[in-house]
Amino acid sequence: MQDRKKHSIWDQYRYTFHYMREKTGVFSLAVCAGDAVLSIMLPFLEAALAGVVAACLVSSGPAGQILAMAAGYIILLQTVRFLQSHVRQLRVKLLFLFRGKMGPELDKKSLEMDGQSLESTQGQQKRRAASRNLYSGNEQGIEAFAAGFWDILIHFGGLVVYGVIVGRYSLLLLLLLTLQTMCTAWFHSLAGKREYKMEEEARENLNGLMYLKRESIAPGNGKDIRLYRMDRWFLGEFHEWIGKVTALIDKGTTAVTAAGIAGAALAFIRNAAVYGWLIMEMAKGNLTLPVFLLYVGIVAGVEIWMNGLFDALQQSYVNKKIMDDYRDFMEYGVLKEDGEETLKNPGSIHEIRLEHICFRYGGSDADTIHDLNLTIRPGERLALVGLNGAGKTTLIKLLCGIYRPTQGKIYLDGQDMDTLTRKEVFKEFSVVFQDVFAFSFPLAENVSCLGTGQEDKKRLRESLEKAGLWEKAASLPKGPDTAMNKDLDEEGVSLSGGELQKLMLARALYKDAPTVILDEPAAALDPIAESEMYEKYDAMLQAKTGIFISHRLSSTRFCDRILFMEKGRIVEEGDHEYLMKQDGAYARMFALQARYYRKKREEERIYE
Amino acid sequence: MSDFISIHKTGFRLLKMIHSVDSAIIPLHLLEVCFSTIQIYAGLFLTAGLIDLLLKGAYGQAAQWALYLLGMNLFFGVTLCLLRRKFRGMRNRIWLIFYVWLREKAFSLDYETMERPEVSEKLLYSERTSEMHGGLGVLLCRYCDILKALLNILLSVGMVAVLCMAGPEKQAGLTGWIAKPLPSALLFGAAFAGMLLGSWKIFGKFAAKQMAIFSSHTGVENKISYLQSQVLGKTETGKIIRIYNMQEMILKNITENLEKACAYYENMCDLERRECDSNKMISSFFTVFSYLLVAVKALTGAITVGAFTQFAGVVNQFGNACLTLIADQGELRKICTYMGPFLQFLDTENLHAAGSIPVEKRTDGEYELAFENVSFHYPGCEELALKDVNCKIRMKGKLAVVGRNGAGKTTFINLLCRLYEPTAGRITLNGVDIRKYSEEEYRTLFGVVFQDFRLFAFPVWKNITAGGERLEERIRKALRQADAEGLVQAMPQGLDTNLYKNLGDGVEISGGEAQKLALARALYKDAPVVILDEPTAALDPEAEAEVYARFNRMVEGRTSIYISHRMSSCRFCEDIIVFDQGRIVERGSHEELCAAGGNYARMWEAQAKYYT
Repeated sequence: MQDRKKHSIWDQYRYTFHYMREKTGVFSLAVCAGDAVLSIMLPFLEAALAGVVAACLVSSGPAGQILAMAAGYIILLQTVRFLQSHVRQLRVKLLFLFRGKMGPELDKKSLEMDGQSLESTQGQQKRRAASRNLYSGNEQGIEAFAAGFWDILIHFGGLVVYGVIVGRYSLLLLLLLTLQTMCTAWFHSLAGKREYKMEEEARENLNGLMYLKRESIAPGNGKDIRLYRMDRWFLGEFHEWIGKVTALIDKGTTAVTAAGIAGAALAFIRNAAVYGWLIMEMAKGNLTLPVFLLYVGIVAGVEIWMNGLFDALQQSYVNKKIMDDYRDFMEYGVLKEDGEETLKNPGSIHEIRLEHICFRYGGSDADTIHDLNLTIRPGERLALVGLNGAGKTTLIKLLCGIYRPTQGKIYLDGQDMDTLTRKEVFKEFSVVFQDVFAFSFPLAENVSCLGTGQEDKKRLRESLEKAGLWEKAASLPKGPDTAMNKDLDEEGVSLSGGELQKLMLARALYKDAPTVILDEPAAALDPIAESEMYEKYDAMLQAKTGIFISHRLSSTRFCDRILFMEKGRIVEEGDHEYLMKQDGAYARMFALQARYYRKKREEERIYE
Repeated sequence: MSDFISIHKTGFRLLKMIHSVDSAIIPLHLLEVCFSTIQIYAGLFLTAGLIDLLLKGAYGQAAQWALYLLGMNLFFGVTLCLLRRKFRGMRNRIWLIFYVWLREKAFSLDYETMERPEVSEKLLYSERTSEMHGGLGVLLCRYCDILKALLNILLSVGMVAVLCMAGPEKQAGLTGWIAKPLPSALLFGAAFAGMLLGSWKIFGKFAAKQMAIFSSHTGVENKISYLQSQVLGKTETGKIIRIYNMQEMILKNITENLEKACAYYENMCDLERRECDSNKMISSFFTVFSYLLVAVKALTGAITVGAFTQFAGVVNQFGNACLTLIADQGELRKICTYMGPFLQFLDTENLHAAGSIPVEKRTDGEYELAFENVSFHYPGCEELALKDVNCKIRMKGKLAVVGRNGAGKTTFINLLCRLYEPTAGRITLNGVDIRKYSEEEYRTLFGVVFQDFRLFAFPVWKNITAGGERLEERIRKALRQADAEGLVQAMPQGLDTNLYKNLGDGVEISGGEAQKLALARALYKDAPVVILDEPTAALDPEAEAEVYARFNRMVEGRTSIYISHRMSSCRFCEDIIVFDQGRIVERGSHEELCAAGGNYARMWEAQAKYYT
């Protein structure tokens, strides 16, 4: 992440407050400013309290008048206290809402950015780093960053006011205070940096703990944990991680404590000097008691302001980094070459032509697809076979536009795919990917991929029926509107592996795109369901192009053309009969699987 | 009142648990409470003395007092700094140990109990709420604050009594009368009582409202966190979202939930602000009133000007302490309410009594397992997953279990491994009901690769040994048998390579590779019974053929159970059980079942026809 663009702190503030204005209005900025004014005033009024009341008490006047004066001041103080607390809580609320309303910005970005960039390890890292800006509480990220700006202003303002008061009385005193606070600030900044470093290190370790925390109770892990007695292992790891994390945080705290003690010692020296000097001044008659009390209060106040200023600066330093990560992600995965053109004949079956396609994953030093040429005729039934890691799944991701080739061009009916908008391209493909899972939305939404109630009921039923899932869907508590799993709805139900696979198929059928790609769509199906699917395959793909990937070579029987892939290349090509006659890699692989299904016992003996 | 008792019963039980982590935590916190209280009152006392000396013009003595004051602050400042450093580490430990407690308990519960939604929900609820509102560490802080407040009230009431007793020198006029001991005591008393009453009313009013909002607000954070981490934060979802153009639908879902969360917090914030405003208002009246009373005492000469600052401070302390006490009691109620499910979880008992007899250790692996009239339905589901199943598992035989999706194959394995107990009937090992055996010992009999097996982001060797001792020879043998030797050798650090990238630098492995490692883990266990549930689903034909070819060697001298939709696997098992709708419908060898022309023959034909 060294390559990320750096933004100046001013630019980050501009960005933050631009959005704050947009999300929570000018009012929220006004509240922050009002809070700043009150927060500067209040400590001054408090510091002056003892002096003012003492002045009233030692003044000579009627008791009523003295009491009225004192009462007036205290009422003023209480009013400011009340207002400050009220406005501060408003500020807290508005800053929180600001962060809450920023949430969709990040999510929108994750949804709309380039898929390949998001899927990459780097993209995932960047996204995680960016979510810290919005989703790790109110002491980290944009909310704290915005609050930090005002806190800096408040504490700086307070320092200036107090500095002027002290300076008016004695420049020497001001100098002493400045020196001492600068020393203290320096200690704190050293300690703060160390603490930050240790906390960052601890955070890395904390990731381990959080992983362990999640995995040790994740539903589905319980069986392995119990069968293999992993509880001892996990608890042992837990204690080890806890030891590491607490030791690191302790180191940071030690630095802060040392700075705190050094600060206390310095404060003692400063106070000794100030008290000594003020008492001497009083002895000389240059100072009255109320003024003495005021200065004692002000001097203590300078330190509080200074510490506060330092804390706010430290926080801003940390949060600025988080902001940098956030904006880095927001600017990441935007493709400059994304085309603008529209498809000539959307929705009809296409000829897909791949010319000299190479593809390499980011961070890898070898091509996954090498110089591949292929033309898929409209309406063709294509089977893609090969060993694990041959590049089949990568190839289909290139085909449907999720990945972009490192070299070479893909044409849809002669139109260069790069000149088309991605959304246009995606519309032309129905894909069942290997990952079999349901989103925790209702079953119907998993199929239609539309919001609640927007699906075409007839089409939904048809696609579920074709996929062999209608009966199950209808038998659920709320029919097809039943939520999957329990994440979003406590009454959700879970489907079995076989059922999920049918759900994936139903989704592809509902979309009804001219090109259908199925990647291992039958791995979890029982033999009967598998066979039924094969039999229905042709009917399902009426007037569509079909690409079928499977390790079950029986599936190639109903395909027009079989592509046998090896190490990113197509090494054999033709229909089943032709390839069997060729007696090459495909024929060997087919024989390997078919052997067990032959009736004769002697076939089996070879393997015993 | 009973509410009050139950809160503190919970609170004290939690404190006791904290104490068990580190016996120094609570005493040190008590010390901090004492020190910080002493610092406040000593400060008030010394400042008062200083002012009086300055007014008297005794500057030398005043300088001495100033030094005491500063020295005292230095001493307590440094001590508290050191104490707080210690606390921070302790609280971090408690925060993390909390998770360990929950997991220790979760591990100790049997699988079936843990799978019950109401049990796991308690665990998740306590974690969630303690993450949101602070957990045991906050509880400890609140108790310290309460103690501090009580100490403060005790001291300040004592000092206010002293203040009231001080009689005025100038007894003339209204001020003189007010300054007399009895009237001033009555006035103070009335002010205290008024403030307490007001605060209590406010507290009651807002606590009820808060609880109402708190409890009506369920699960939005969970939903957001699901959408964030599972829908947007996973590598496999992005492509589906894009191909199926789900962006708008998902964004709408997230936005709606975020809006709900925002609305909730807005409500909460507004309520808290109103409560705080009301409290501030009352305490303001009290502060103004009591300041004036102390001022009257000073004006009439009952106390000195120095003592005025001291007593004004004391009254201030008293007011604050009362407010903290009420607020903290409320906080404690909140903490103890959401910690309730935590304690309930710790008190959860297993559904089934644990057996205790040890399993006979046999070197010849002659264990006989049998199902006797076993029926079973999953909790919360009325339909029977297994119906009256009877079967004996032949020792050292190779058994294949086949059937359609949902026929009961996996349930059969789950019951055999004692993850669930039969609803009716029994399962026996060497003629004895398996429930009578110690669970831990019974499970040593099985090496299982479940369909949804899991590997973890730790070094390969730990995954193979399941965290046990690292026995190189045995690991190598298991890897060899599972055909995973080459795979591990190709990894950058061999056996020490971390799997997955969750914890930084690990290797991602394919489904087929994971299956091989899971198989190695099962073989490493060297158990007399090996169960493989769809072990070749993710393998290509070559790898599948490898597994088949090695199968005999892998399970040599053991009982093996093989579940698969690949009917070809039945060819090397001499015994096949066919499940249909929860029942065993056929059993026999491949030839017998093919000849019988039943379910098995149909399934076989469905697959075989494409290959012949």
